[in-house]
Amino acid sequence: MRFSKFLKVEAEIVVARYALVSDETKSRFEPVIFFHPEFAKRSGVKEGDVVEVEANGRAVKLKVKLSESAPESGGIIPNGIFASYLTNFDGFKRFKANIEVAEGEPSSVGEIIERVKP
Amino acid sequence: MSFVCPGCSCLCDDIEIVDGRILHACRRGEEIFEKYKENRAKPMVKGKEVDIDSAIEEATEVLKDSKNTVIYGMDTTTVEAQQLGIELAEKLNAYIDDNSSFCLGEFVEAILRKELPTTTLEDVRDRAYVMVYWGANPFHSLSRHMSRYSYYPRGAKRPRGYEEDRFLVVVDVRRSETAKLAKKNAKFIQVDNDDELVDSFFKVMEGKAAKYAKEAGIILNEMKKSDLNVIFGGLGLKYGLKDLGKFVEMVRKMNEVAPLYFIPAGFHANMRGFNETLFEKTGYVNKYSFKDGKGDVDFAFTSLLQNGKVDTAVIIGTDPVSSLPYDVASKLKEVKTIVIDPRMSPTARVADIIIPSAVSGIEMGGTMVRSDGARIKLEVIEERDVNDIYILKKIEEGL
Amino acid sequence: MALNPMDIYKLLPKTNCKKCGEATCMSFAFKLLNRERKLEECTPLYEDKKYERQRKKLEEMLKPLEEATETGLIVDEGLCTGCGNCVVVCPVHVEKDPKGAAVGKGITIDDPILRVEDGAVKVINMQACRRYGKNRVLCVVCRENCPTDAIRFLEG
Repeated sequence: MRFSKFLKVEAEIVVARYALVSDETKSRFEPVIFFHPEFAKRSGVKEGDVVEVEANGRAVKLKVKLSESAPESGGIIPNGIFASYLTNFDGFKRFKANIEVAEGEPSSVGEIIERVKP
Repeated sequence: MSFVCPGCSCLCDDIEIVDGRILHACRRGEEIFEKYKENRAKPMVKGKEVDIDSAIEEATEVLKDSKNTVIYGMDTTTVEAQQLGIELAEKLNAYIDDNSSFCLGEFVEAILRKELPTTTLEDVRDRAYVMVYWGANPFHSLSRHMSRYSYYPRGAKRPRGYEEDRFLVVVDVRRSETAKLAKKNAKFIQVDNDDELVDSFFKVMEGKAAKYAKEAGIILNEMKKSDLNVIFGGLGLKYGLKDLGKFVEMVRKMNEVAPLYFIPAGFHANMRGFNETLFEKTGYVNKYSFKDGKGDVDFAFTSLLQNGKVDTAVIIGTDPVSSLPYDVASKLKEVKTIVIDPRMSPTARVADIIIPSAVSGIEMGGTMVRSDGARIKLEVIEERDVNDIYILKKIEEGL
Repeated sequence: MALNPMDIYKLLPKTNCKKCGEATCMSFAFKLLNRERKLEECTPLYEDKKYERQRKKLEEMLKPLEEATETGLIVDEGLCTGCGNCVVVCPVHVEKDPKGAAVGKGITIDDPILRVEDGAVKVINMQACRRYGKNRVLCVVCRENCPTDAIRFLEG
């Protein structure tokens, strides 16, 4: 166990189409979140970290990448199964989430499907 | 020979296949051509593999017993298949809806009702000067939109293209890739609340002060230089606006200053086709109930699931497990699900019945409707007999 | 993102020993960048252990040079969505393909400089680029209209 020096931070999440993370055959969807470099720096999160993203009482683990296209106060989760799982209809494409550096592997698509329809 | 890419609502018709290489298609489009044989759905009933006709028969039986059915999706299939899907819904006295009810359907509706003036992408290329990408990031969502149809190409009346003959405006809550392209002769407006920009356009036209008065003033002045200006509205606009009516009114009022048109920017290849096909038949673009004879927000796929109003869902060529929020998608477990799809999508993986179909535009020809309303004929690379048309006809005959 | 001779110079021995044949380390740095010299020609970097860390950094830094075309163009396909902006804006394409790339369609000439193939931009015929050869112009139009730096030039 590592002592968590990372507090939970609140992030503004924008859900947007991202052409490079999915496969049009629906066989692959990358568990990834794109943080704005400034936000990542402020929050003590590095590229390649795995973070737990929690919203509406649900959480997924996503791998961190950096992008200047992300909102300054948070990140982009590509439009797809991980973003959909976190959102409610209210705040479907833009919502607030809590971010915490986590251990282990990012979530898989299969894991989310299992939670949506056990 | 050129092919039409069924990847998104751009429906690019200049795709070539030379020595096994796919030319000109963007990354998303290319994958559809390159990998159409991958991750294919198999006919299944309750987790067991069956032959295709048994899956269709089983689905027909379920539909016979169902009291409240919703037919949902069809945004990636052809107009001809959509017509059959609508017929089937009518015969079943069912609900019918597609992705547009939480995507850009209400914009398409405003266009079809002639509340929003619109134009074609060819006219945009040839004549448009100011182009506003509002809540849209075509770089990722409609990758060739700017190079094929809008900002970059040289047009008949715009021979110098983006260098001098275009004025680019990007409105977004973040500095998107498209925003980064707004350099010379351009404006990026980073908004937090889209309604404030709508309000600013009104105020500037009334000569009043406003939050984005400077930007709105510049844009209105630029628009006066041309007989064709266009707003491309995306999902960011849809979810940023509280009141579509006010936006429609803004476009109308701006037309008193300079000619301004609207084209939706987003969505699946033939979502607009679904909207137009249903509109012709019923006067509504989506979320329609044949039982009630009208369209209503209560008849949206999402509302029906959340309110427990249906016992069976026929999901055609779309993937609600990936695209709908948890509070809706998790309700799928409470209904019987029949998935008609070429692919083993996450939704197919949880379906009660899977009926594998053909990839439109690769294995099935027909018509799709581009984002601006142009009707595009699809080419076929490798015909597959069991396609959406075959399946829907067979179900209907079996009822 | 782009390399500049100063960054290279800072990591060289800065002794102006002339073993490489250049009068100064700075001029060696320039020639490295233009690919007229190879890093191995700076023998002290490889012989003296104290330069080892710098040498490794330099090797890392100069790696893109090997991947670059003669005009210094580097394409990173991992960042490319195949949007085709670069193909359509290229002034050479506009001139040679008035009915194709110039009006936004997939480029129709057989030997374009750039073409989108299999979902990402590929360099087909660098010789046609305005940056190529003796009378070159330092045109950067394709890079300027690539929002993800999938296209870069060595010297920026």
